[in-house]
Amino acid sequence: MLQFLVDALLRTADLALITLGLSMLYGLIKFPNIAHVQYAMCGAFLAYAINSTGVPLVVALVLASLLTGLLTLVIQLLVFDRLLKSGPAIAMIGSLAVSMILVAAVLGMAGSFPRMFSVPYAEPLVIAGARLSKTQLWFVLTTLALLAVFVVLLFHTQVGRAMRALACNPALADASGLNATRITNGVTFISGMLAGLGGSMLALSTGAHVNLGYDLLLPVFAAAILGGLGNPIGAVAGALLIALTETVVTNINFGPLFGEALVFLPVSYISAASFLILLLALLFKPYGLFDREVRRV
Amino acid sequence: MYDFLIFTVTIAGIYAIMALGLNVLAGYSGLLNFGHIAFAGIGVYATGIAHARGWPVLVGIPLGMLAAMLLGWAMARLGRRLATDYWAIATLAVAEILRTVALNEAELTGGANGITGIPSLFESVPGPWNQVYFTTLVLGLVAVAAFLSVRLGDGRFGRALRLMREQPALAACMGYNLQTLKSHALMCGGAITALAGSLYAHYFNFAGTEFMLAAETFVLWTMVMIGGIGRTSGVLLGVIVVQMVYAFVPFLRDMLGFGSDVAGSLRLGMIGVILLCCLLWRREGLLPEKLRNPA
Amino acid sequence: MKKRNFLKLCAGTLLVSGIASAAWAQETISVGAVLPLTGPSATVGEDIRRGIELGVEKVNANGGVLGKKLNVIIEDSGNNPTSAISAARKLATVDRVPAVMGEYSSSITLPMAQYLVKENVVHVNIGSSSNKVRELGPTAFNIIGLEENGNRFAAQDVYEMGYRNLALIAPNNAYGQGVAHGFKEEFEKLGGKVSAQVLYTGGQSTYRRELQQLARANPDAFLYTAYGHESAAINREAKELGLRNVPWYAYIMSMSVSDTPAEIAEGQIGMELGSVKGDLGKAYEDAFKAKHNEGFKTAFNGYGYDGVLLLAAAIEKGKGATPEAIAAGLKAVSEEGFTGVTGPIKLDEEGQRIDPPYDRLKYEGGGLVQR
Repeated sequence: MLQFLVDALLRTADLALITLGLSMLYGLIKFPNIAHVQYAMCGAFLAYAINSTGVPLVVALVLASLLTGLLTLVIQLLVFDRLLKSGPAIAMIGSLAVSMILVAAVLGMAGSFPRMFSVPYAEPLVIAGARLSKTQLWFVLTTLALLAVFVVLLFHTQVGRAMRALACNPALADASGLNATRITNGVTFISGMLAGLGGSMLALSTGAHVNLGYDLLLPVFAAAILGGLGNPIGAVAGALLIALTETVVTNINFGPLFGEALVFLPVSYISAASFLILLLALLFKPYGLFDREVRRV
Repeated sequence: MYDFLIFTVTIAGIYAIMALGLNVLAGYSGLLNFGHIAFAGIGVYATGIAHARGWPVLVGIPLGMLAAMLLGWAMARLGRRLATDYWAIATLAVAEILRTVALNEAELTGGANGITGIPSLFESVPGPWNQVYFTTLVLGLVAVAAFLSVRLGDGRFGRALRLMREQPALAACMGYNLQTLKSHALMCGGAITALAGSLYAHYFNFAGTEFMLAAETFVLWTMVMIGGIGRTSGVLLGVIVVQMVYAFVPFLRDMLGFGSDVAGSLRLGMIGVILLCCLLWRREGLLPEKLRNPA
Repeated sequence: MKKRNFLKLCAGTLLVSGIASAAWAQETISVGAVLPLTGPSATVGEDIRRGIELGVEKVNANGGVLGKKLNVIIEDSGNNPTSAISAARKLATVDRVPAVMGEYSSSITLPMAQYLVKENVVHVNIGSSSNKVRELGPTAFNIIGLEENGNRFAAQDVYEMGYRNLALIAPNNAYGQGVAHGFKEEFEKLGGKVSAQVLYTGGQSTYRRELQQLARANPDAFLYTAYGHESAAINREAKELGLRNVPWYAYIMSMSVSDTPAEIAEGQIGMELGSVKGDLGKAYEDAFKAKHNEGFKTAFNGYGYDGVLLLAAAIEKGKGATPEAIAAGLKAVSEEGFTGVTGPIKLDEEGQRIDPPYDRLKYEGGGLVQR
């Protein structure tokens, strides 16, 4: 029983950091950046590259996330700021192009074969019958810690208040003297960092591979929308909901219905289930389950 | 070499029909459908399933088009209250759901293996001629689709779509039912694309799910955006540009001797760069939409 | 203006490469091969390529075929059927080869081979084991063991080791479905039971959920088969979930552990398509090690080597490099008796290898050894 919860938590951790970054940024610049998940992929490869030159793992992770944040900011300034002037639709298509270019660049430089980090193998921890590896435990703890930091940042500091004001009403915020550009750039950088960190920590378990971004695209967007854009707790809650659905439904034994010992739903249907939840959410609760903040659907 | 050219031209033709289908909803109507490949997938599998079930295989074509129209109508209803970008993500989700179903329902779709042995359209004709006939058919259909597209664009429906795209409030004031317009646009574009999907199945004699990845929709979008959104000749130009890049890279690879990964990366990268450049500097595409002069 | 120059460049390239290849074609006879050089089976693809390369060297060292040099044009299948069919199309229509070897995964080999047979090109299967390979057609030949044989061998092996209740995981494609279905049948004939079975979809980053489902069956042993990188993930996660206390049996071992780190693969048992045998096999193995400074990564490279040598012999025997001559030549060579590095190769009336070899292996000290 506990193993299911642990698995759900692990899956949440996979998604949470990237969703958090996306949610905060989407709330501010108001267009869905499809390339966001590719930033995660870039972060994973950067971490791998830095780590393989001998730099200790934790330092490599930090460096990779900083570099990813920088990459995000640069792309935002050079490409998306210009495209946004023509509207969110063009920006979205532009993010598509950026996504392709990033994947192509990584594919050309690193090849299509997944790169595994050389993490020394350690016996998994056993907590009350549930098992998880040390790497995964760190991942979950880091995610929780960062979430706590963000909640504090957004709700208890000046900077956070400024960010929320900007997301709500840019014109008014600008008029009240908030430096919109600086704040947007800051949020961009942070969201890039989060994506890079999320991607690299995910890659510690699964290896850095070019499809890392595409695989995360729909779950991350589903989680972000479910949680309501611009709402960090919502983002993680959305990720948790998606993860729970995926984990719980795969573990229900339909055997008794069919007269056999064990009958399970094929695992690949689970991603379909998450997307179905997303569609239902968009139909009935398009502002997200928690219905606050960004009011634009 | 001659055969390879025919191959490239035929594939370009099939993609052209799909792109023209996308143009009806994206170009004329401004609908951001990021799951467009689902329509093509429906066409591919309709033909495949018709073959697997032993029905006359040509039944797959109208079946696919009907199913696509149904999906189009459903997608339009989905978009009733959603803003453009949310709807785009929703369409992406719909395409993924369909792909997952196709991947798993082995009895219906052959699951991960797909359906093989789908006959070509001119099986009984010998030698290289069956290829030529098929290519001619495809090119003919491209011409028909292009003609229809131009007529549609210049006609009342097309004008209504453009109005809905530019000034939805005004369109509503003038008495157009926006929901119906969207529905019709999606059904139209979807049916055209499904037809191309069926042709694809006949050409490769195979129906599989690799085709239904989101990446393929992006290729179609690139074709439409590069060429010139909303303008038929622009879309065709976009198809040619993208196909040339696709066809050119393997030759480059043979000449310079680099690996398949780099080749794949070059193809994707070049398309992405071209798309981005177009968006940054020539937003309307290489052949911008012709606006009618009021006089 | 830009378009015109671009078109000129394309035309020029085509012309030059056309002339060059035409000139070159006078001196060489070419056959084709489609291999998974990218994707999760890249390790296997590269291994087979090495076998083919050595085969070509050997043939040319012995004087070539019909007085000309032999050349194998290798294309990447991209690990999906559509690119494989496009690659086969290029080989058949642009390079005009009379025979094509490959691919590796059954769900890719089958549609590709169907296309080749339709185009009257000889197809030689050197990597796939689906029983459907038998039904491909008169110009399709096969030198590797098909599932019907493999399943019987594996079922016997597992049963003899005393396991009665099994959980099985295999890929959700033609190959995996064939193994799952066939093995279950054979195993239950002997009196065992497969109480849980999962067909996993490739390309995922985690297989925890599939493994959780399997674990519920509380089996005596797990039977698994998976492609390179995917099996590495499955092996690792199985260990993390504590499922390794029960033995893991690999079906086609070298494929299933090719990318798994040694400490995780240690102690696994399995069966394998017969690797190299006899003196010929030994000599081949030595040459392989000398050339690449490392041993075989999988058991498949020997079949690539044998494929090349068999085709060369068929061309000589059939006195021609057309598909008809090669097909006739293959039948004649088989009649006469042919010994490759994977043992004696004899084909039945449907062009399938009779009595293909299998090995029992285990993973020890970083490599596969006989049990």
